[in-house]
Amino acid sequence: MFHFLRRRVLTSILPLVAVLLGVFVLARLTGDPASLYLPESATPDQRAAFTERNGFDDSIWQQIADYFGGVFRLDFGESLRTGESAATMALRAFPATLQLAGATMLIAVAGAVVIGSWAAFRPNSLADRIASFLSMTAASVPDFWFAITGVWIFAVGLGALPTSGVSDGMSSWVLPVATLAIRPLGVLTQVVRGAMVSALSAPYVRLARSKGAGGVRVVSHHALRNAAAPALTVAGDLTVSLVNGAVVVETIFGWPGIGKLMIDSITGRDFAVLQATVLLTAVTIFVLNIVIDVCYALLDARVRETARV
Amino acid sequence: MSTLSDKAADGRPATGSDAPAGGAEPSAPARDSRVGLWRMLLRDRVATAAAAVLSLIVLTAVFGPLLVGSAATEQHLDNTNQPPFTFDDGWLGVLGTDPLGQSVLARLVVAARTTFSVAAPAVALALAIGALIGMWAGYHRGLRETLAMRVADIIMSFPSLLMAVVVLYVFSPSVANLVVVLAITRIPVYLRTARAESTELQSRLFVDAARTFGTSSSAIIRRHVFPIVLPTLLTLATLEFCYVMLAESSLSFLGIGIQPPDVSWGLMVSQGRSYLQTAWWLTFFPGLAIIVTTVSATVLAAWARLATDPAQRWRLTLPRRARHRTRTAPAPQEAQS
Amino acid sequence: MSPVPDPRPARAGGRRRRAAVSLVLSTALAASACTVANSDSVTADGDALRVVLPEEPPTLEPCEASLTSTGVVVRSNITEPLTERDPGTGELEPKLATSWKRTSGTEWTYRIRKGVKFSDGSRFDAEDAAYSIDRAVNSELGCNVEGYVFGDVDLKVAARDAQTLTVATPEADPILPLRLSFIEMVPTSTDSEKKVREPIGTGPYRIANWEPGLRLALATNKQYWGRAPAYGNVDYQWRTEGSVRAAMIANDEVDVATALSPEDGAGDAAEQYPNNETTALRMQVTEPPLDDKRVRQAINYAIDRKGIVGSLFQGKAKAAAQLVPQGVVGYNESLRPWPTDLAKARKLLAEAKADGVDVDEPIRLISRTALFPKVDETVQVIQNQLDDLGLDVEIEMKDTAGSTEFQERPFPEDAGPYLMLIQHGNQAGDAAFSMDQYLLSKGFQSSGGTAAFDRKIGAAEAKTGAERQDALAEVFTEEPNEISQYAYIAHMYGVIALAPDVRYRPNSATGDEMRIAEFTPAD
Repeated sequence: MFHFLRRRVLTSILPLVAVLLGVFVLARLTGDPASLYLPESATPDQRAAFTERNGFDDSIWQQIADYFGGVFRLDFGESLRTGESAATMALRAFPATLQLAGATMLIAVAGAVVIGSWAAFRPNSLADRIASFLSMTAASVPDFWFAITGVWIFAVGLGALPTSGVSDGMSSWVLPVATLAIRPLGVLTQVVRGAMVSALSAPYVRLARSKGAGGVRVVSHHALRNAAAPALTVAGDLTVSLVNGAVVVETIFGWPGIGKLMIDSITGRDFAVLQATVLLTAVTIFVLNIVIDVCYALLDARVRETARV
Repeated sequence: MSTLSDKAADGRPATGSDAPAGGAEPSAPARDSRVGLWRMLLRDRVATAAAAVLSLIVLTAVFGPLLVGSAATEQHLDNTNQPPFTFDDGWLGVLGTDPLGQSVLARLVVAARTTFSVAAPAVALALAIGALIGMWAGYHRGLRETLAMRVADIIMSFPSLLMAVVVLYVFSPSVANLVVVLAITRIPVYLRTARAESTELQSRLFVDAARTFGTSSSAIIRRHVFPIVLPTLLTLATLEFCYVMLAESSLSFLGIGIQPPDVSWGLMVSQGRSYLQTAWWLTFFPGLAIIVTTVSATVLAAWARLATDPAQRWRLTLPRRARHRTRTAPAPQEAQS
Repeated sequence: MSPVPDPRPARAGGRRRRAAVSLVLSTALAASACTVANSDSVTADGDALRVVLPEEPPTLEPCEASLTSTGVVVRSNITEPLTERDPGTGELEPKLATSWKRTSGTEWTYRIRKGVKFSDGSRFDAEDAAYSIDRAVNSELGCNVEGYVFGDVDLKVAARDAQTLTVATPEADPILPLRLSFIEMVPTSTDSEKKVREPIGTGPYRIANWEPGLRLALATNKQYWGRAPAYGNVDYQWRTEGSVRAAMIANDEVDVATALSPEDGAGDAAEQYPNNETTALRMQVTEPPLDDKRVRQAINYAIDRKGIVGSLFQGKAKAAAQLVPQGVVGYNESLRPWPTDLAKARKLLAEAKADGVDVDEPIRLISRTALFPKVDETVQVIQNQLDDLGLDVEIEMKDTAGSTEFQERPFPEDAGPYLMLIQHGNQAGDAAFSMDQYLLSKGFQSSGGTAAFDRKIGAAEAKTGAERQDALAEVFTEEPNEISQYAYIAHMYGVIALAPDVRYRPNSATGDEMRIAEFTPAD
């Protein structure tokens, strides 16, 4: 296992550098930030001074070398927009996103397992069809539509929830998490259902049933474990996309997360902050991928055996 | 590192990569009965309905714009935000008008074409590239596999938003560029699925046999791996179609999607969001169009998957009443539980 | 994401382990979900005014206060200028200076108010004033206010004694006090090498607590020299979506919501006011076919301003005939918006075409996302009307950085002919500011002009008093005939929403400078 982990971590370093390099170069394609941060009257001298101060006049190779040199010294540069340290800004925003992603996936996974198994227990029954229909609908609702409608119905109309923000304790989580969870819930429900239908028709489950095992017991003890593998893959992929920034939800609900920070730094041509956020999310995603693989290795005895080789 | 530990490294099964479960052999996906398929489809009411709806939508996308003509971009500033079922200006007002006095119905119809011409090529492109690299990586394993998987990781952890902004601001936000952006960001999904499946397949007996006979790798991939991987990928593609429509909508939310006067469902939803209080129909109908398309496509894909899988097809061939009784499996105990 | 509803085959082994894994996973998720990012809620007591803005101020640096998102919080709340323009009368009022007069052709002398202290307790005197002006205008900081108000003019500033300040310009400047009213006063202890995020000022409020990303709280400045404001605290939040800001008012989460659109649903709480902004279409006068005046005039004739104002803005705007709205010195009351006359427009275009102008060349219509509410719709209407005229116009919405590139000099090379939908707000109350930037042939936001017209503008700007008004107004009369660089669209309205228990009368400057001291609780 250790062997596998070390190898996995080592092979992740190069891709990480590639991501960072890609962001570095692409960001600089979006144009010179000088026009955003200098007054329109800026003289050529002032422009040159700005460019020099930020190192934009060096060759791209020099800039890359400087940046990576800085990264090794844990110096991620300074925000053009706010004047703060880029690392501070990224680290400040990250927990909010992680918590949102965690809560979302928890709800999506739990909901999907319950609804998916229930539907799979009687494939093609009315209940199954309704569950499938609803989950497919959920998977295709535009998120910002859901979010804004939710705000007006639950916050303004019913007065049950705060419209947005993070200050009202758990109740301020409801709408953002619901908005984020609806698509993963829909997708995962279908995955769990599909997996469960097959698992329930597998010989050993039928055997258990023939021995008189009841419905709930069959589902929870036998079938669900086999449905875990595909659900894990999909859940992992969904989590990755949440970590990479729930831009729309964070924008609408004023959630101070990494997605909002990323879009602000892109539109603000705030390269240092963009690079810091991407580095942070990319590392998280790589770690997440490794964790998922480890889970797989643990889940799948066969794979685990070979992993020792 | 051995090849075997590679399997552990990236040994994540594709989502539901189980096409050849039960040992169904690769070569022939139910060639016996084209007619049989039709009959099976007609027997499943829900699938039939889904097929009908989907055909209607596709026909609308193809021929609809001819019918409504230029009505989708004809502005009537004296006739804005009319609610649905306003027939003052003819039947085009049936779904109301937008803030520029354009017919929502006409726009929906024209948008269908744009939506498909973004989503379909984006999905197809991602599918083709992802599947090819994935199968190639999974078949050859070793360094090539690791390489492909890390590339997938790179794309996944790369902020797709930055890519969108760069491509759409630096180059213009044309339909072609939009397709490229959406395709690139979705490649990993197919790549990982295809790789997982072909990894499993390449160790199978029939592939081994082909290899011993000296068949070239590309031929093996084409003849033996591809047909088995395809159904999974196609099912995946139908769901991705929905995702791409929504992603395009989110890009519009950020102002970098389809540019007016072109119109897509995603753009319509996004444009209508500031009128949620005053004109619900602006977002409702395009949103509904996205949902209906997705649901029909998914239903049909699920059905097609059953229908083309020899191990599962029995579920569809049973007469409806009999099916009712033997729902989960042909196991007699079933009825009691 | 690969949601394929299909199972793995059942495997016998390792079930317990699997259960363990799922347990671990769900615990991890639960744990991550429990530690809520809840910073303590600065729940507003009755004494606090809760405000929601469209965006977080990137910084509170006073020399960036001409940026809307910074200025709306900083100006006259945290820091103050020497003099302040009354948005109602247009007159300069004393603030940190009690009087000012022109002491020579190029020099102005200010009397500094006595007994003013910064919120850190230090005394404000002419030394601080001189330092603040130097720092904002003459330093290498690259302050936004410098470009906005002063161009590349450097000022000679000197503190004669604690209460006397002199400011000299290289050339005579009749509106220097107006320009100086944009400079916020900071103590000499303020960093001169680097912009500061959290400044010290003399205003009625000081920064109490800024949690970036979440909220910004101001508390009253106990040292304040004037009358204490009605609200003891201010709590700023920010939400990008207008309808969410409106919902916060409806849900009693805030007392003030700014920068709304009429559709956002604030209902009775919404109040509309002319906000000083003017929208216009700038045409690149150097790029064929837009270099032909007939093409530009045809565009002017093709645009249906009444339609735009009437149905898009629901009458809450005024069709425009010039760059500045009523209330600004130089506004010409007698000008009428360009009439909509498609036949005439087509005739002009045909004439141009007959003379060999390539009117089929594709023209880009560039604007900025979220420039003002309904900018998307406005752009579409203009595109549609120009399409009717027979031009090949393509819409391109860009972000701030992307559009600035096309908006300000130096313009990108090889951009081809383009139209730029701009919104100009004259915060200063004198048309000279607008003309310098938008009408002079080398103005930072002007695509061109003529030397003769530049001279006219220069002559008008040198005048004072009633003469100045007439001369500037005359420039606006002549622009459409002599240059015709712009197709003016509308003088805009803003929407602000107030909770029922808050009294405030928005004015034309509210969007740039929201003086919290002017808010009072209803009784």
